[in-house]
Amino acid sequence: MNLLGSEDPTTFAPVIAAFKTKNPDITVKYAQVPFDQLNPTLQQRLGAKDDTIDLYTVDQPRLSQLAAQGFLEDLSTLKEQTKAAVPDAQYSVNLYQDKLWALPVWNSTQLMFFNKKSLDAAGIAYPSIDPAQRMTWEQIAKDGKAAQAAGTQFGLLLEQVEAYYQLQPLAESLGGGSGITGDKMLTTDITNTGWEKAMQWYSDTFSSGLSPRGVGGFQTSPLFTSGKVAYFVGGPWDIGNFAKSDIDWGVAPMPYFAGGSQATPTGSWSWGINPASKNKAAAKKFLEFASLDPAGNLATTDATTIIPANTAATAHYLPKLEALGGAKTTGLANLIAHENTQTATPRPVSVGYIQFEELMGKAFADIRNGSPVDERLKQATQQINDAWKQL
Amino acid sequence: MSAATAHTGTPRRRTLAYLGLSVLGACIGLLFLLPLWWTFVNSLRPGGDTFRYLNPLQWETFFTATPTLSNYAALLHSDLGLATLNSVIVSAITVVVGLAICSMAAFALAAIPFRGSGAVFIVVVVSFLIPFDAIAIPLANLFRDWNLQNTYAGLILPGLGNGMAIFLLRTFFLAIPKDLVEAGRLDGLGWWGIFRRIYLPLSVPSLIGAGLTLFLFQWQSYMWPLLNGTDSQHILGPIALSNLQGQFNVDYGVMFAGSIVLTVIPLAIIIGFQRYFIQSVSTTGLK
Repeated sequence: MNLLGSEDPTTFAPVIAAFKTKNPDITVKYAQVPFDQLNPTLQQRLGAKDDTIDLYTVDQPRLSQLAAQGFLEDLSTLKEQTKAAVPDAQYSVNLYQDKLWALPVWNSTQLMFFNKKSLDAAGIAYPSIDPAQRMTWEQIAKDGKAAQAAGTQFGLLLEQVEAYYQLQPLAESLGGGSGITGDKMLTTDITNTGWEKAMQWYSDTFSSGLSPRGVGGFQTSPLFTSGKVAYFVGGPWDIGNFAKSDIDWGVAPMPYFAGGSQATPTGSWSWGINPASKNKAAAKKFLEFASLDPAGNLATTDATTIIPANTAATAHYLPKLEALGGAKTTGLANLIAHENTQTATPRPVSVGYIQFEELMGKAFADIRNGSPVDERLKQATQQINDAWKQL
Repeated sequence: MSAATAHTGTPRRRTLAYLGLSVLGACIGLLFLLPLWWTFVNSLRPGGDTFRYLNPLQWETFFTATPTLSNYAALLHSDLGLATLNSVIVSAITVVVGLAICSMAAFALAAIPFRGSGAVFIVVVVSFLIPFDAIAIPLANLFRDWNLQNTYAGLILPGLGNGMAIFLLRTFFLAIPKDLVEAGRLDGLGWWGIFRRIYLPLSVPSLIGAGLTLFLFQWQSYMWPLLNGTDSQHILGPIALSNLQGQFNVDYGVMFAGSIVLTVIPLAIIIGFQRYFIQSVSTTGLK
């Protein structure tokens, strides 16, 4: 059977090997599609009922649309088992119209990394890893500027500068909500006070020079490892690379706005079965192994730094992740466990999410490059509504 | 006296202006080279150092005192080697078979009078005015029905009949004097003989130009192999390069090393055939 995804083949080699040991009669072949092209490629090939894809990786917020298009096999018979095996947020993101369409494989969160040399130069105390002592964005902006005054080039950088995934918590923290409301989850709500205040703050971090405008996309972590940034908000996947770099760093919870709520991103990848597949039984067996079996799920994280979705696998995994950063990451397992259960705020479940995410990405890009916030959010509302009319 | 000064002054001024323009031209040329050079220098540095010397600009931005080949060594563990080989195979077959098909089509349109040749020519022109990306999706569905998915044939076929190459060759063929055709006829040559013994030997520069067009179409092929469901055995260069960019982080050093490898091959081919290529474009339609 064939698995299609956007990861490097070495990432899934361990889980495929572990499965083969248990099921010598099933051979799993993995094919990689570049990350940026995964969604268009899936749309075209699944739409043409391509039976050479049996199982594929599903970006969790895109699940509703894929299910609505008939591109996912109904897995509702596994509901109870799944509910018992994974955290609630990881179960609910795989539901659409009360049916289960995919099984969660990975989970995620966001953390704030800091450059110790930069903070030392400015005489700023290191932030604590204890979620009870979470910093505020206001404080980070102030300290970031102080670090810049003391010689660090940039005060703050978010890893995915234009991604809804990472920017949603800014608005959520100020009470702006996810941006999608309504019974059908097809009403845009991004011009409320919370969203406007959050985006104004975000815009100011660029206009004041606290964050650099030139670097975009998901290409920001090399800037932190070259020592040019004081505070960097990124994912657990950065820990492996940062541990290999030669800068001295530490990790703390993702900040929130003073007086606001604490919200952190969550969610990652599920895997789903192609209804046109001719090897559904084998695909299902492999999928159950990779998601519901703790050993199988853990094996999906052997070759990469990502949190497994399975609760039992997470318990095994977090101490390993904490050890990866050595003394720099003491307390990390507790922090991630806390964020997963207390502050994790999933992306909205809506059939219009794909259009929403793409248009919001453009709005974020314009806002950080200096577009007036309220006008640009109004324009985005109009664009999203127009796009949704065609659904 | 003043006239004599003016006489010697003008050529000197001209020389100065000429020198000035040449230096300016060279500087502008170097500016075009700069991004490629920067990519090359950074392919010799660890990925974590890519942005270290970017701001403010310094001599280390464009040079490195400690070059390392580790990024190129890392490429050996990726799919890029196989992908480059596949790209070379696919491009080479496309050039050879494609040139045979396109030159015969161009010959038929330029030399053989037949009813409807104008209409056929219009179809050819329209075929290269429509972007390939626009027809790629329905074409991929057809290829799937024909079981050409994930095969070399599936990768090569769309590149063979290239409207642009036919157009270039036809224009060149039209300029070949008809007297030569008649002389050939008198010597007993058929259409095939005229094509093989008169047209082809006279058209080497334009064949090279058309060959480069065919080559570049396949060398840059990105969307088609993805739609065609290519697996890791049939992977092509641009896809392997894009796959080097992970979802969560990018090692720019390795990425740049891969880009350099994929740039050097067409660069060598184009520089090797540059003389003919310029000749073919500049003489098409003029002879």
